[in-house]
Amino acid sequence: MTEQKITAAPENKDAIVSLLFQLADDDFLYSFRGSEWLGLAPHIEEDVASSSISQDSMGHAAMYYQLLEELGLGNADALAHLRPANKRKNCTLVERPNGEGCYMEVPKYDWAYAVVRNYFYTVAKKIKIESLKNCSYDPLAQVAVKVNIELYYHLLHWKTWFVQLLSSTEEAKQRMQGAIDQVMKDFGDVFSLGTDGENIVGLGLIEDENVLLQRWIDQMQTVFESINLSIPDIPSAPALNGRNFEHTEDLDSAIATLSEVYRLDTAAAW
Amino acid sequence: MEQKKTFYHEFEVFSKRTPSSSFQHQFSLLAPNAEMAMVMAQENFMRREPVADIWVIQREHIRGLSKEEKTALNRLDNKDYREMKGYGYLKKKWRFYQQKMFDEKEILSWSGGNKHD
Amino acid sequence: MSVLEKELNEHEKLEQFIARIEAGDKIEADDWMPEEYRMALIKLISMHGISEIMGALPEKEWVPKAPSLRRKLGIMAKVQDEMGHGQLLLRVAEDLLKPYGKDRGDLMMDLFSGKLKFHNVFHMPAKTWADAGVIGWLVDGAAIITQTNMLNSSYGPYSRALHRICAEEVFHAHHGESIIMALAEGTEEQRNMLQESLNGWWEALLMFFGPASSTTTGSSKQDVTIKYKIRTSTNEELRQSFFTKYIPRIQSLGLTIPDPTFRFDEEQQLWIYQQPDWTKFKQIITNNGPRSQARLNLRRVSYETNAWVRDALSAVSN
Repeated sequence: MTEQKITAAPENKDAIVSLLFQLADDDFLYSFRGSEWLGLAPHIEEDVASSSISQDSMGHAAMYYQLLEELGLGNADALAHLRPANKRKNCTLVERPNGEGCYMEVPKYDWAYAVVRNYFYTVAKKIKIESLKNCSYDPLAQVAVKVNIELYYHLLHWKTWFVQLLSSTEEAKQRMQGAIDQVMKDFGDVFSLGTDGENIVGLGLIEDENVLLQRWIDQMQTVFESINLSIPDIPSAPALNGRNFEHTEDLDSAIATLSEVYRLDTAAAW
Repeated sequence: MEQKKTFYHEFEVFSKRTPSSSFQHQFSLLAPNAEMAMVMAQENFMRREPVADIWVIQREHIRGLSKEEKTALNRLDNKDYREMKGYGYLKKKWRFYQQKMFDEKEILSWSGGNKHD
Repeated sequence: MSVLEKELNEHEKLEQFIARIEAGDKIEADDWMPEEYRMALIKLISMHGISEIMGALPEKEWVPKAPSLRRKLGIMAKVQDEMGHGQLLLRVAEDLLKPYGKDRGDLMMDLFSGKLKFHNVFHMPAKTWADAGVIGWLVDGAAIITQTNMLNSSYGPYSRALHRICAEEVFHAHHGESIIMALAEGTEEQRNMLQESLNGWWEALLMFFGPASSTTTGSSKQDVTIKYKIRTSTNEELRQSFFTKYIPRIQSLGLTIPDPTFRFDEEQQLWIYQQPDWTKFKQIITNNGPRSQARLNLRRVSYETNAWVRDALSAVSN
């Protein structure tokens, strides 16, 4: 990877913006799904602990949106709240609902899915952040250094849950296996950099998606072996690629909820 | 009575604020094992303060005093021979020799190294 | 029986116990305590704890909807604290329940069966974003008044939990003020939203402190809790103190108290107010309030849906 630093000059800007939207939208939606669990986790102590992870992640999203604001893309809150689904670059995995039902009424949320999604996503995020620490666009490299500080805890937290549930009852193992299959189906675009990928990698913003994906597989291999499971296949061509604005309807309803109050009056101070 | 199926263990959580401070008891939480207790501890009790280290200890592993044993904590107030107050008269003595007494405050102030002054 | 310990009869034990709390000593979980004291603590603290857990729900509805990144973070942290307060208080209640072989699971079952009640305010709907602000500002304000009243409770573990809780309540108060300040200084719609919210919460806020005496509803635990120095002030004293602290602030923002008879009586040095409907209060706290069943259902469904997780953790329990 190049040591050369780049600026947000017009010829670089599109690639920088594209990558920042991927990172911002990922953490924004990831945090939203976590926040829907607030008050409903299987154990009160866990509810408190995991909410900190949702908060950290929203904080990370806010830093990326802030960088976009500084690049003249608009106000960070407007970027987070107002962009419709067809302008979003988050991966499919983070837009999936937590389970059946809405958090307001009768949520039948699936904790196995939460643990697997959160763990797999966090390992992927850590790998990206390690690469972004050497990002040629310095403001992003600086944010990556900050984000990295909080990831150790997120990893420890979700790995503990992942390993313990997979080492427990038959029912838990079955549910976890089901969740693993479900999460892996959506894993095809997690490392994707979308149609801007070549440009993003060419400018030295982040390493190639295949390199990053291989790192993820290598790291997970050890964890899976420790619990006598084999690492599942990752679909090479994702059904939907969120980086290219391909999304499910769940993203529309998520955005509608996230922006319900903000949209009442976008000019007002809230 | 049928044994209730439960994962609950009480863990007592201790933490230290800075590398040089002592461990302090924070509170207790419920967890199935020490690993799980550890991932819960910090965010449950130390969300808004610096932490340098954490201990989690299963409550049943702590040996405390029973009400009766606390009687063993009582003692007479006749031990000034091992307390500062038993040697207060030296202050006057040293004054006679035109010297200052090295009291606790003075002695602990030497932690910064000895300077000739 | 030990030779060291003098056999005390129940009466002597009680006398020693009363002497201890009169002297300002703190009672700990393993200490001997009269049954009446233990029962009063269990009732008070399990209700307080479960109210925090249920109280997370109305505000939680507004967590994903909060109107900016900063507000989303603030309210997430606030609701997290509510769950955290539930954790602290339930731990205290669980230790008191131990001699009866009961644990947190039993408290949840008591909640679902209606045996364990939660605060009247958390049976009410949170219809708008302003409600999220008013809950933080005034409901938490009222909670600060009742909780600081018990900071020096004779029961040590409760007192320690309350010290942690009250420190965080200061953040909650500021969080609520920050939301309502933005609305009060905002557009006409925002101001209307805030006034409507105050109108909606007023009666519930009055009820929050409980009836002035047991004759009002036929049940009040205030006498026992004062006798054992668990708390110091009466319900009415606390309600008056709330008025004294909050009425000037409410009015300074140009908001109207939704009670035309409300005034301060100089002669009696008391706030005069329209009594809330205490029959309605009784209905509400017996889970017949506007959102009682829906919130209980939410709690029950999530508890049952997650039962397999607790089973799984039992299997990795050491």
